[in-house]
Amino acid sequence: MSSLEHYARAFERLPASARTDARRGALSRLLELGLPTTAHEDWKYTDLSSVHELAPDGGDIDGEAPARLDADADGVDALNAAFAGGGLQLDVPAGSHRAEIIVAGGNGHRRHHVRLGRGAQARLRLDVQPHAAFQTVVLDIELDAGAQLTMLRLQDAGADARHLTRVRARLGRDTTLDLSTVDLGGRLSRHDLVVDLAEPGAQVHLRGLFVASGDGHIDNHTRFDHRAPHGTSRETVRGLARDAARGVFNGKIVVHPGAQKTDSEQRVANLILSPKAEINAKPELEIYADDVKCAHGATFGQLDLTALFYLRSRGLPEADARALLTLAFAMEPLRAIPDADFRREAIGRVSAHLGASIEEMS
Amino acid sequence: MNEQTHMLDIDNLHAKVEDKDILKGLSLSLRPGEVHAIMGPNGSGKSTLAHVLAGREGYTVTQGGVKFRGQDLLAMEPEERAAAGVFLGFQYPVEIPGVTNLYFLKAALNAQRKSRGEKELDAADFLAYVKQRVKQMQMDPKMLHRGVNEGFSGGEKKRNEILQMLVLQPSMMILDETDSGLDIDALKVVADGINAMRGPTTATLLVTHYQRLLDHVQPDRVHVLADGRIVKSGGPELARELEEKGYAWLQPQKAA
Ligand SMILES: Nc1ncnc2c1ncn2[C@@H]1O[C@H](COP(=O)(O)OP(=O)(O)OP(=O)(O)O)[C@@H](O)[C@H]1O
Ligand SMILES: [Mg+2]
Repeated sequence: MSSLEHYARAFERLPASARTDARRGALSRLLELGLPTTAHEDWKYTDLSSVHELAPDGGDIDGEAPARLDADADGVDALNAAFAGGGLQLDVPAGSHRAEIIVAGGNGHRRHHVRLGRGAQARLRLDVQPHAAFQTVVLDIELDAGAQLTMLRLQDAGADARHLTRVRARLGRDTTLDLSTVDLGGRLSRHDLVVDLAEPGAQVHLRGLFVASGDGHIDNHTRFDHRAPHGTSRETVRGLARDAARGVFNGKIVVHPGAQKTDSEQRVANLILSPKAEINAKPELEIYADDVKCAHGATFGQLDLTALFYLRSRGLPEADARALLTLAFAMEPLRAIPDADFRREAIGRVSAHLGASIEEMS
Repeated sequence: MNEQTHMLDIDNLHAKVEDKDILKGLSLSLRPGEVHAIMGPNGSGKSTLAHVLAGREGYTVTQGGVKFRGQDLLAMEPEERAAAGVFLGFQYPVEIPGVTNLYFLKAALNAQRKSRGEKELDAADFLAYVKQRVKQMQMDPKMLHRGVNEGFSGGEKKRNEILQMLVLQPSMMILDETDSGLDIDALKVVADGINAMRGPTTATLLVTHYQRLLDHVQPDRVHVLADGRIVKSGGPELARELEEKGYAWLQPQKAA
């Protein structure tokens, strides 16, 4: 194992007020575990060796100690807990509405915590530092009964940026988490989404798009745990890879014993636009309850040649026809984003990224 | 017949798909102003002919050729054929979710105009232009904002093919079973659309199984395509004869 001494040295460079016992505990966990390697099943395709040697940047770290480390925390959690600045600590009171967009971004490693009280509603944008050499962002979400959170995580990072984000949500009774994710850039971009549908009637909706270009690497791992009856999960993910880029998607759904009447659907479609590009996408379904409805499917393909011919037969040059079909494929999950501002932003950013003029497409 | 007077001249065309010979020496010529109908049993090669004329990939022409206004049609890309005035009405129009009909029509028309060195239409002019044709096809203008053929019924898709034709104003129309799946009213609307395009400088090749379209769109010639060749040609009365007797009496003799 490579030396982890640089973590200990970076820790000693933190301001004294930041070197709390909690952080020191996280540091020793990090020194014990190191960052995950490709030998870990969950990190099979995503190689962190390029960041192993990087000394963590304290950013605008202050004395506040980030949250607890769970027993099953891994090296990423430990690194984040040892070095993250305070980030957003938000408690939306019961019954209140936060219609404005709350943005959680910032420099260095970040740790955010958002809790919505009973029946509260809020909109949240989770951002990363677009030029970070290496940033981890951890967000813990708690939704009390009846709360509704609408989220957009959109990253259009620079070609050398490296990010790991981890969003963990605990959904109470009759809550809704509506999350749209768009990944367009970065050298290395890994996102974990872990949703615990802990109480009856919880719903999670995820719409995701990634466009991996250049020699970028974009990895999304999602895990939905249905632990209570009458939960609903919907997951629509589209992936594109071009140039020599790689995309990874792993979507795990676990229906625990007793989570009867679970209604779960996962649709994953991938488009590989160049012979050097690659996508690894895997649905994983574990069902331990008998009265459930679970549907899932993953497709991989190139552009639909019949559609391509149809467009060309009407006069569109081949390159334009390909670009249009690519854009239409990418837009599919985004067109369904219920929040109008988030939808507009996501569609606008993606069409700009794919170099298309979109005004009249929708 | 002088080649120069032909709009479309198909000469001894042989084509295969995945090593299977489908067209086996098909010859057919249309002059400007003419409407020809092609009838023939299922699997005889009608759609294959239409696809080869429009330039679809996957077909290999092994012999013969096609001239469009004296030019080598088969040497052109599909989009070049479109800009030159060739239009294929698909037997099975394609659904393209996420691309609206409006965007599609405008992109197609402007791409054609651009390649012909004509000025592109701006959004407002185009909208007025297209709405008039939507009305002509008795379609709901809301369809313009739906995905191309997305969730359209069979009949709506065929109407949409004719709408595209009216917007693009081609000169050589190849309509592959555009009449199939239409109710009586829709058939009339589609036939009116086809007739509206009829003129001294256009030509139409209608692939159909039914006389009822030909009651509305009078063909100048009717051809029977069987096993990859034209086995009989005649006037409009041939279509009525076929409707009565079927194709069996015409099956090509397996000559040596
Ligand atoms: N991709 C393909 N691979 C193999 N055979 C094919 C392919 N496409 C068409 N064919 C065959 O070519 C023959 C001609 O098909 P085509 O679609 O041209 O017939 P058609 O005359 O249009 O029939 P219909 O009246 O049913 O529309 C058929 O036997 C068909 O099965
Ligand atoms: Mg056919």
